[in-house]
Amino acid sequence: MLITIDVHSGVPAYRQLVDQIRIQVAGGRLQPGEEIPSTRALSAELSLNPMTISRAYALLEEEGLLERRPGLPLVVRARSGATSATARGEQFAKALRPLARMARQLGISGKEASDALRRLIDDHER
Amino acid sequence: MGELVFEASGLTKEFGEVTALRDVSLSLSGPSIIGLIGRNASGKTTLLRHIVGLQLPTRGQARTLGVATRNLRHEQLARIGVVPDAPTFIRWMSAGEQLRYLSTFYPRWDLERQSFLAGLLDLDLQADISGLSTGSAQKLAIVAALCPRPDLILLDEPVSNLDPIARDQFLRLLLEVVQEDHATIVISSHVLHDIESTVDWIVCLNNGTVAADAALDDLKDQYAEWRVLARTRDLPDRFADAFVVRQTVMEPRRARLVVRTAGADVRAFEHAHDADVEVAPLNLPGLFPILVDNGRH
Repeated sequence: MLITIDVHSGVPAYRQLVDQIRIQVAGGRLQPGEEIPSTRALSAELSLNPMTISRAYALLEEEGLLERRPGLPLVVRARSGATSATARGEQFAKALRPLARMARQLGISGKEASDALRRLIDDHER
Repeated sequence: MGELVFEASGLTKEFGEVTALRDVSLSLSGPSIIGLIGRNASGKTTLLRHIVGLQLPTRGQARTLGVATRNLRHEQLARIGVVPDAPTFIRWMSAGEQLRYLSTFYPRWDLERQSFLAGLLDLDLQADISGLSTGSAQKLAIVAALCPRPDLILLDEPVSNLDPIARDQFLRLLLEVVQEDHATIVISSHVLHDIESTVDWIVCLNNGTVAADAALDDLKDQYAEWRVLARTRDLPDRFADAFVVRQTVMEPRRARLVVRTAGADVRAFEHAHDADVEVAPLNLPGLFPILVDNGRH
């Protein structure tokens, strides 16, 4: 699991952590059954407050994304394909919102914007 | 876990005409790293001194580790580690001798931690106290405070004299200590950048009153900056919306606001004022003036 947190960005650190794990699970980079680093290990790796990490893990557990097993590391819980597709869509829409705002401010039409996005995705795949 | 390590209710401290703390009610529990922030003379050091019973309330209650602070005994004090803003030691001892002397007072003194910390902070235990630089004296104070494995650790501007590397190592160390010992750590500092990378909780004092007492991440969720650009017509002189906390730049075509996110609807605002809004989060230095202002109302 590769996580990057910017504690000075103003975005609450627990939310950065939750969002990144959600994206990695939705995109399949974190597979069901895969172990999540312990609070202590992640705190040492990221120099991040352990209470902040616990809070993020508890939230993901509540959402049903992570599973706590007594005495064992947290693991990613198995999800149905449909939920995963919705989750991916949601995460992507969230990331697009500021771009949509910028497009409106720059007077870029929906078609222009989606063409530009398509070109970027195609370029990347090539 | 969850033990109330400090509790104040209606705590007021007067020094003659001056009120240093005014009706402070506060509960601190761990494990947690608590950032104690505020402007100069806001009461931070006075509060820390009340926690260890070095000063007693003029009115109101203060309890530490379950005991009224006027009755704190060795049993409780041995569970508290303090790094004061200006540490003093016995001048004719070496750093190592000073630590050995202190260790006799603490049943839980951790020798392994002592050598680990001295190595980590690059503190020479052979050095004479009289010859220590301010930075090294601060390092010695940190080692002395952490070796008894205290449940409550009070740090008054602990990083002010440390070089950037020692500072970074010290802050990382706090993250470990809070987990190993389930300690409650209160760190007072003006260096908000350091506080922001370490703490999970903020207590902000202003003029001796509690201006904020909340999880750092919750404060970040509660406020945001809005950069407002007019579309076709000029913006109003002032925004009367209840969620607008601060208006820092007010020009006919652009404005910079701080809003309370609860109840703040970007779209409705854009529509009402014929403007575009760019929402940006606020970090701790950005939040600080707002928190201090809260204490004024």
